[in-house]
Amino acid sequence: MVAHPEALMIQIRGLSVRRGEKTLFEQLNVDIQPGKVVTVLGPNGAGKSSFLLSLLNLITRESGDVRFDDQPLPELSRQKLAKIMAWQGDLPPAEFGLTVVQRLLLASDGGAQEEINDALAFMDLEKLRNRALAELSSGERQRVEIAALMVQDNPIWLMDEPTAHLDMRHQADCLKLMKKEAQKGRLIITVLHNLQQAAAVADMVILLDGKAGVEVGAADDMLQAAKLEPVFGVLLSGKGRDLKQVYGEE
Amino acid sequence: MSLLGLVVTVAFIALGLGEHWINPLRPASEIESMILWEIRLPRLLTAFAVGGLLALAGAWFQVLLGNPLAEPYVLGVAGSAAVGAVSGMMLFPESVVVTSIGAFIGAWVGIAAVLSFSHLGPSRLLLAGVVLAALWGAVLMLLMALLPERGVMLAYAWMMGDLSNSSLPIWLLLLVWLFALACGLLLSLSLDKLLLGERHAEALGVDVASLRTKLLLLASAVTAVAVTAAGTIGFVGLVVPHLMRLLFGSLHKAVLISSAVGGGVLLMIADTAARTVISPAELPVGVLTAVIGVPVFLWLLIRKPS
Repeated sequence: MVAHPEALMIQIRGLSVRRGEKTLFEQLNVDIQPGKVVTVLGPNGAGKSSFLLSLLNLITRESGDVRFDDQPLPELSRQKLAKIMAWQGDLPPAEFGLTVVQRLLLASDGGAQEEINDALAFMDLEKLRNRALAELSSGERQRVEIAALMVQDNPIWLMDEPTAHLDMRHQADCLKLMKKEAQKGRLIITVLHNLQQAAAVADMVILLDGKAGVEVGAADDMLQAAKLEPVFGVLLSGKGRDLKQVYGEE
Repeated sequence: MSLLGLVVTVAFIALGLGEHWINPLRPASEIESMILWEIRLPRLLTAFAVGGLLALAGAWFQVLLGNPLAEPYVLGVAGSAAVGAVSGMMLFPESVVVTSIGAFIGAWVGIAAVLSFSHLGPSRLLLAGVVLAALWGAVLMLLMALLPERGVMLAYAWMMGDLSNSSLPIWLLLLVWLFALACGLLLSLSLDKLLLGERHAEALGVDVASLRTKLLLLASAVTAVAVTAAGTIGFVGLVVPHLMRLLFGSLHKAVLISSAVGGGVLLMIADTAARTVISPAELPVGVLTAVIGVPVFLWLLIRKPS
């Protein structure tokens, strides 16, 4: 793996995204520097996944300007974008019998065997390398998807709930990976639901409130009970890594 | 290499088999030699090309719709091509060109009809295809009822598949076979990525909209050519790609090459059986492929999780 991927910054100005009739969020402004982990938080349906997809130009932006190092998103071809960003999202369909290693080869464009082996080793998938995706559990398939990010070696990673389906150890591995990769200069934008996980990795938080509102700030300022309670409609206590949900106290 | 060996072996046996066994290496008489090279060989080559084309079309439709059960016959595309061809025949009974154009337009209409249900998702799309196939079958029967007597036999051949008097020259069929395979191989890496779903494919740099258009053009053109040559022959496009995935894995370079050859071999075998089992009479080849294909289809349906 290259130690210092070609660093790239993202500038977002006035981004609004809508799905069908509903405006998901409006007027998102943020500059994201390489080496940062940005966590996207918000209730279900607030547009977290859509935000990632809008950066990939996979859903139409209603308005706004997105630039990668001054290159406007609409001017970048599919192939270019695929070299800039790697996306981890839905588990790909398993009907056609792809194996784990074939899935990784597709991600890396037939790339180096060594990188694939490293990713398999890191994600604890060596024994499964020649198994069909359909034979794996959701957690194992999620690990394959994270390994697929690793073999692409792009400067920007978009991760949509990377810890979903994973057991505790692999959740921890995944968070460690994000930290480590950011330190190497990679820019990571990740959707998370777990606030402690967000606190463990995030430098910056984008908070979507589900009513078209959006707030951006440093992780320390954003991960506070008072800030998040109204958005999620739950009782919280503490801040940062001590932030946690309080159950059953009405 | 082993594929080539298989083709030659099957071709050798298929050439020899018939009402009388004729050794292809030394025909005993003038007449035997004529039967061999002017009747059996052209028919065998037609079977090979048509089988290969149907298998390729099946493989493409399966990725295109994200459903391993898709193929031209099941989706009604073969049926609509046959309707187009028979309509062409009714209007201009002597013109092969009109029949071919009719088949081509028919294939397109069939694909457009199926795709207008694409918002339903892969599994219900397939259902829509099956119902449309029934509709095209009914229209075909209507056309047969309207056709003058001579036409009924021809239309019958369109419905059940008939390799004995292809309206297209053999060199053209083989050329199309080669061209289709080459186009498929050029697209194979993008096709592989499409196996991961549209979003993953796009994120990996595939222009999915343009790939879909190319695939649709290819699959419908190939279906139209196969139908024009031999009528509707079902399930080759289903059985062959699936078998090849089991044997050689899901990556398209392997799937497409082996399907193009394997489909050819399967149809050569099926057609040889069709003309020898109750010889001197013949079975419609479509009956034989259905007898093989339907159980495989059902097995896939049962086996599929979710």
